[in-house]
Amino acid sequence: MSQPPTPSYPPAIEIRDLRVDYGNCVAVDDVSLTVPPGEVFGLVGPNGAGKTSTFRVLATLMEPTYGEVRLAGIDILENPREARRIMGYMPDLAPVPSDLKVWEFLDLFAEAHGLGRAAARRQRIDEVLAEVALTDKRTVFCRTLSRGQTQRVVLAKTLLHRPRVMILDEPASGMDPLSRRNLRFALRKLADQGTTVFVSSHILGELAEMCSSLCVMNRGRLLAAGSVDAVRRLLGRAERTLSLVVLERAGEAAAWLAGQPGTGEVTTHGQRLTFHFSASQEDQAALVTGLVRQDIRVSSFEEQKSTFEDILVEVAEGHHTP
Amino acid sequence: MNAAAPWKLWANPIIRRYARSRLRVQGLGIGLILTLMAAGFLFFSTRTLALYRGNMPEIDAERVPLLPLMVLQALILFFLGTGQVAGGMTGEADEGVLDYQRLTPLSPLTKVLGYLLGLPLREYALFAGTLPFTAWGLWRGQVPFSAWASVYLILLSSTLLYHLTGLVAGTVVKNRRWAFLVSIAVVFGLYTVIPQMAKFGLTTFKYFTLWPVFEEQMSHFVPRDAGGIFRTVQRMTPEVRFFGLGFSETVFTLFSQAGLILTFVVMLWRRWRQPEAHLLGKAWAAGLMVWTQAMLLGNALPLIEPGLVFPSRELQRRVFNARGWTPSVSEGMGMIGLYGLVALVLMLVLTLIVTPSLEDQVRGRRRARKLGLSRPPWFSDAATSFWCVLAMAVTGAAGWFVFARSLIGPAWYAGHSLPSHTPWTFGLVLLAGGLCFHALLERWGGRRVFQAVLFAGFAPIMVGATLGAASDRLLTASLWLIGLSPFAAPVFASQSLLSTADLPLAAARAIPPAFWFWQTLTALAALTLAHGLWREKKARAAAEASV
Repeated sequence: MSQPPTPSYPPAIEIRDLRVDYGNCVAVDDVSLTVPPGEVFGLVGPNGAGKTSTFRVLATLMEPTYGEVRLAGIDILENPREARRIMGYMPDLAPVPSDLKVWEFLDLFAEAHGLGRAAARRQRIDEVLAEVALTDKRTVFCRTLSRGQTQRVVLAKTLLHRPRVMILDEPASGMDPLSRRNLRFALRKLADQGTTVFVSSHILGELAEMCSSLCVMNRGRLLAAGSVDAVRRLLGRAERTLSLVVLERAGEAAAWLAGQPGTGEVTTHGQRLTFHFSASQEDQAALVTGLVRQDIRVSSFEEQKSTFEDILVEVAEGHHTP
Repeated sequence: MNAAAPWKLWANPIIRRYARSRLRVQGLGIGLILTLMAAGFLFFSTRTLALYRGNMPEIDAERVPLLPLMVLQALILFFLGTGQVAGGMTGEADEGVLDYQRLTPLSPLTKVLGYLLGLPLREYALFAGTLPFTAWGLWRGQVPFSAWASVYLILLSSTLLYHLTGLVAGTVVKNRRWAFLVSIAVVFGLYTVIPQMAKFGLTTFKYFTLWPVFEEQMSHFVPRDAGGIFRTVQRMTPEVRFFGLGFSETVFTLFSQAGLILTFVVMLWRRWRQPEAHLLGKAWAAGLMVWTQAMLLGNALPLIEPGLVFPSRELQRRVFNARGWTPSVSEGMGMIGLYGLVALVLMLVLTLIVTPSLEDQVRGRRRARKLGLSRPPWFSDAATSFWCVLAMAVTGAAGWFVFARSLIGPAWYAGHSLPSHTPWTFGLVLLAGGLCFHALLERWGGRRVFQAVLFAGFAPIMVGATLGAASDRLLTASLWLIGLSPFAAPVFASQSLLSTADLPLAAARAIPPAFWFWQTLTALAALTLAHGLWREKKARAAAEASV
């Protein structure tokens, strides 16, 4: 008996040779990227990296100079209306109309997306308001909402038609810590249900926690893309800081360490030794074994990896040229 | 999931959105109270005056409030409505919520109709508030159905046209206040400046207003005694002549407005489909130029033989007896010059719309290179508008020549004839002006063109006119200075081609040489600028190909 063929789903987002020009300024320069379905995929980069231009092209709000973009297999340049049916976009500092109540604002888009009759729409509106914890604000005017509440209403609007691909530009800006945590959970839950979330945030630690994969852009070019650890390995410093605490003979241990290959200057604070190390992971393991062979008892050993803030600063300072 | 189809207006989400926000009791209530008060005052005061002071029969007295009420209705729909549409559209863009509408799967046409009919919903409600008074007047005043249906049909089609103007203004102008003012100015211009142009042979312009139908049906809207006068006037011009065809004022007004309404809808449709798109494509712009020429000629030519095209005849008829009247040469020259000026201005406006910005050109070149093409496709927004300008200039010159040749014919100007080089001269005027404008715009962008129009277009006319007003001795110098402006070229061209016996001697001597001198220089400038543009484009393309 032959096995049934495995269904092959097209990538949720497929960008090929994307270029966006503003006159002579190149905002996005031949970027190619693939995001599989069900991922929370982050986009990181300093100001002017080309993030918003990329998002606006994906959201069908801007025509690129050239390039091919597909959302779940739909060519957005050839068929933008179909793409809009399956895509939800939330812009940075998302505005709301001042003359509408929250439910009226949501109902406008529920109708535009053809979500059925009044009762069905009302039910869906209640669902999304519950998801963003704003049920009590249903009948207030949008203009009375705080910045964080406004962000959540727009997120609710983005969720209304159950998009398969969500493009969120700084969705957490203006939100309080609790709302941010809820947002993280909500996005993870959506991804578990099969929705692909493409998100940018300036709170990079949060992005690393939220995303399964991410990419880094600078000056319109894509520097790296992949899992969080892979990107960190690729763009983080090769040199890392090691810190260990010995129970005795700290001076001897410092002298021994200073003689090992790849080790920088060792600083001693009591029993704690800190130094830069630029050799391989095997050499790092041999370092610890060596200390033990010297009969120096090690009570703790810690490696400080580059944080995403470090990476972004380096990218912004041009250490990683495209 | 099916989003609303364009024709399902009742299900259009944007209309329903504005029905919620603009028809709230608080906002609508105040407006409605003020409207009812104004309409009630107009109705009761004029009716009472007619009944008890004028001692009019009831039928006549009931007709008296109809005109004041119609003025109020026009104010509500034309001015308040148009301003609201323009300001509301800019406001949506200003707030940033317009992008949300772009993201919905509604068709561009559904969105255009949604904003067109949704934004002025409150003004429609205020208009509806005045209708009971009007309905009473029409019923008790025994106004025939055909009369009031024609007038109100055109009132509504004019409203649509002006609201579309507001929508286009709101889409193009970024500032809410400016969009409001521009749209109001357009409507104001339609009822003040344009009717004056219609009197000088450009009759078709008056069909963009309510006037022709209103004049046709006016006799039914006033007391019967006064109506007799209007009926006599109406009998003298019983129908609209369009080339060899005859139409009622209502049908022809609808036809004329439909052309513009379609053009505006296309503009908005293009912008909703692609926010950075030009308002019109090159083919549509060239087609619009042809359509305008056909409309202008179609209306004007049948009026030439009976003399109705001449403004002096109308004046003569109203003030004195028209018998023995003949048009002067200067009147004919003025009309020919005005036709040329309108053709030139229309061509420049369309050129402004279809010429790619520097940014468009860069993007177009890069896209073409990526696709393996040597240049952007001919009709794409990024392609040069040179050929379109050329086609519009030729079309404009042809229409202008047909008008001039028909006017200066045996019917009114026996003994005068246009020289054989007239079509070439007209072509030169439009081509030289148009190509200079185009080359500046496509090579350096709008700022340089604005400066050129200001300093080479308007300044010479203003300084020249001031000099000419100061002294007769400065007349020659002032005419030479005015001749520098491309906007003066059509008028100078017409004055140079005909017998100038009607002009003052100094003007008759100065205008032809000034015209030919400046026209030669403008033509040389156009050639130089066009060649410069061609070289620049080639150099830019080569520079990019080498990167």
